[in-house]
Amino acid sequence: MAKEKTVRGSSGAVVSTSGRVARGLLFVFMLIVGLLTLYPVLYVLFGSFKENAELLVGGINLFPKVWSVDNFVEAWQQADFSTYTMNSVVIAVGVMLLSLFVTSMAGYVLDRRKFPGRALIYGTFMAFMFINVGSVSLRPLFELAISLHMNTSLFSVIFISAAGGQATYIFLIMSYMKSVPKELDEAATIDGCTFFQTFYKIILPLLRPILATVALLSFRGGWNEYIMPLVFTMTEPSKRPLTVGVNMLKNSGDGAAAWNIMFAGAVIAIVPILLIYIVASRYFIDGLTGGAVKG
Amino acid sequence: MKDSVPAKSTGHIKTRDGLTIGLMMFPAVLMLLVCSVYPFLWVFRYICYDYNGMTAYFTGARNFVRLFEDTAFWASVGHTFEYAALKLVFILPLALVMAVLMQQKIMGSGIFRVIYFMPTIISSAIAALVFSFIFAAYNGVLNAVLRATGIIKQNINWLGDPSFAMWAVLILAIWGGFGNYMIYFMSGLSSVPGDVYESAMIDGSSGLHTFIHITLPMLSPMLKTILMLAITTAFKDYESIMVLTTGGPNNRTMVMFLYIYRLLFGSNQNNPSIGYACVLSIVAAVIVGIVTGIYLLLARKLDDVM
Repeated sequence: MAKEKTVRGSSGAVVSTSGRVARGLLFVFMLIVGLLTLYPVLYVLFGSFKENAELLVGGINLFPKVWSVDNFVEAWQQADFSTYTMNSVVIAVGVMLLSLFVTSMAGYVLDRRKFPGRALIYGTFMAFMFINVGSVSLRPLFELAISLHMNTSLFSVIFISAAGGQATYIFLIMSYMKSVPKELDEAATIDGCTFFQTFYKIILPLLRPILATVALLSFRGGWNEYIMPLVFTMTEPSKRPLTVGVNMLKNSGDGAAAWNIMFAGAVIAIVPILLIYIVASRYFIDGLTGGAVKG
Repeated sequence: MKDSVPAKSTGHIKTRDGLTIGLMMFPAVLMLLVCSVYPFLWVFRYICYDYNGMTAYFTGARNFVRLFEDTAFWASVGHTFEYAALKLVFILPLALVMAVLMQQKIMGSGIFRVIYFMPTIISSAIAALVFSFIFAAYNGVLNAVLRATGIIKQNINWLGDPSFAMWAVLILAIWGGFGNYMIYFMSGLSSVPGDVYESAMIDGSSGLHTFIHITLPMLSPMLKTILMLAITTAFKDYESIMVLTTGGPNNRTMVMFLYIYRLLFGSNQNNPSIGYACVLSIVAAVIVGIVTGIYLLLARKLDDVM
């Protein structure tokens, strides 16, 4: 025991002066990378309080000369950002609820039951994580939505966004299910629970941590969706989410004149998801490694 | 496929359970069929047609002839390779270094982890918009900083000059993605048992030496997965490029999936050319497939050597 301690002591070269200097340098390096990473967000955040004249002149000042909330007022009242924000909220919450509903059941069934077609379904999910025909898949979905008269409905956007994320979430839930003892299912069955009751009353409460991850990841997915809602709201400006609405301003010709509104719009699009991230960063980070990379 | 799925059956399926299972799987399977399988099959339907979204004319092999004559498309394939290669060259070493630093438990590493990962939370469309302000030629802050520090005398037209646009795209890609790979690497590093490091230290191994001879080899199974993810992701990126440069200037940052997107949904200049876009989508998918295949082959070869 004592011997081990001395080994630890000598191996902990970090305590020595040169070690301390090295650690100090590393800290400075990490700090620089951290500031560079933060900078664009701070830049747009503080910039959104600048007057348009100051934005158009540019310069290296991070903070506004004159603090003003006019940009937000203008964006909210004249540039339809209240509508865009509402649409973003509807899409993000919709994708979150649909993802939770669909993937919790599918993840449970796929992990616990053997049924005809199981391998086929599992294999198809896996295959489509690798097969990628890119944006072309938006065309048939768009035409399908037109023929169902749903091409301007936010439900189409929600459905497609949830579909895009579901494989990852199902795999996340399946790998979490490995830690839920099968004896629980068996005991519930013996107590007279049906298959669905077992899921609903016994398993679902236990899945709460992983469902929190799925909820956050899918909310982010819906909130950040861009190209797909862009296609679906091409002719329906009142259905545009923030991502699409802000970028439309950029392409609208008088782009330079609208810098202040775009800054405000970008901040409205960034801040809610950033706040959620600051509160729940652990879930986002764990969600990445929980199911995605399984060596 | 069957073997990789652990059998979890708790016995035979009762009819009522069968119905429950069917109902519980239905939404997921419906979404899979509608949003993945159907579009995939649809792509093959129009490969021999000239289709503009309204009417489709059978044109036989003309789309394939066009494919070989379409220098703009092949240039976009070249740009995709250039973009992917450069992105990986910068992002992976940076992510690995940051992951190793995170492990040293230096002051504030918890906060740094949250900061480095933050860009991945933000919509790439919004991030690209913010970077288009930063890169702006006349009032952009990047030029202002470079001028103030005396590095440049004249403004660089980051997004409008063909020799700089790709770098602008790459800076955004690195900013937006390195935290993601850092977390992958951290999860790989945490699976290397701690006593391996201790015995290396007892043997008097230095930090760098330990890293090259112990950490990297122990990391290699995970490294393979991460690399594959990184490669396929880099080839598929186009959303942020679409916002930042729209493929310009002069198609300098046009990557293949962006090129296909413009054929599908048109831009101001041209009508959609959907049948041809379907052909290109298949070509693009095959290209990504071949790259992945070559990578897997090389990875196996490397395994034999190491």
